[in-house]
Amino acid sequence: MNARNKKIRSGALAAFFVAMLLGTLSMPAFGQNPRLDIKNLEALAKKASEVVDVNLDGSLLKLASKFMTDEDDREALGIIKNLKGVYVKSLTFDEPGDYSEGDVEAIRSQLQAPAWSRIVSARSKHDGENAEIYLMTATDGGSVLGMAIICAEPKELTVVNIVGPVDIDKLSQLEGKMGIPRLEEQTDESGQKPEGHRAKP
Amino acid sequence: MRNHRLLLAPAILSVALLQMLPDAARAGDSEFHSLVERMSDYYQKRPVRHMGWLNFFANRYTPGGVSHFEMAIFDDVDASRTHAIEELGSSLVSLVGPSYQPFVSVQDLRSGEWTSIYTRESGKEQIEMLIISIDSSDAVLMKMQLKPEAMRKWLEDPMERARDARRGAEDAQRDRM
Repeated sequence: MNARNKKIRSGALAAFFVAMLLGTLSMPAFGQNPRLDIKNLEALAKKASEVVDVNLDGSLLKLASKFMTDEDDREALGIIKNLKGVYVKSLTFDEPGDYSEGDVEAIRSQLQAPAWSRIVSARSKHDGENAEIYLMTATDGGSVLGMAIICAEPKELTVVNIVGPVDIDKLSQLEGKMGIPRLEEQTDESGQKPEGHRAKP
Repeated sequence: MRNHRLLLAPAILSVALLQMLPDAARAGDSEFHSLVERMSDYYQKRPVRHMGWLNFFANRYTPGGVSHFEMAIFDDVDASRTHAIEELGSSLVSLVGPSYQPFVSVQDLRSGEWTSIYTRESGKEQIEMLIISIDSSDAVLMKMQLKPEAMRKWLEDPMERARDARRGAEDAQRDRM
């Protein structure tokens, strides 16, 4: 009886550890969240001439997907229906230099490895534009949990946070929609290749 | 004399009907009424009168996909209260209640204008939109229902649509004067 109890106990323990392991693999690194804390930009908002916030949480996205009935929307719909939220904060300034690199760093500091990895960084010396795309992946590297886009122009700073699985190859379907800037224009002008690549999930 | 009476009767009837129309238009949405009341409490001010007329006609001439349009304008509001953005923000959240979700907000710090847009599902394929636009002297409350074609435009470019809404609120204030 004791031997049987021991077997059951060890079996239960093994199952518990397997469950823990599987759970850990599908979770982001400890302490990191696909939802960015954009409140860091609140202080910066006081220096801006215009501040725009777009909040599309899960329920609104679900609702939005009902309205995307056009043939052109089919691919975007495929992405949107799986998302948990799209959050955009855009700040416009009167003069170049009204915000500093340090201000952007407050956002970048949340986008740290191992959970987050920068997959695109494009800079344009001409226009002073800078676009960065970060992906958060599960620790098994298999699934994308979120995305962050930072578009910094001399007089405009836009931070986009997409929470949920999004295919980077299909990101273009969302560009120009829901407050997400058109990244192609920015990256094409830069003439620089993306840096900080990581194996595509 | 009889001719005068004949002419007078339809005129009186028309006036009576026209007097009733704004009230009928207002009575349509008790929730909007209570929102107006709460905004009145906040600003300690009544909204501009005869808005029922504007709402009545606006509902007949609103562009495609927009219906059940209602608007209330509060003019000469206490600017010192308007500038307390944080206080105003939490007040607005409590004003709209939990069923509305924040969708877009545009804040113009130079002019002190602030437009907040909230949405919620309304029926099968409609969205109800609540727009609160405030500047240093006026506050405008708008509520409307959007059909899919109208909501698509909002999703295409929520930032620009929100700026349009703010400009619309400004125009409404100007046209009223």
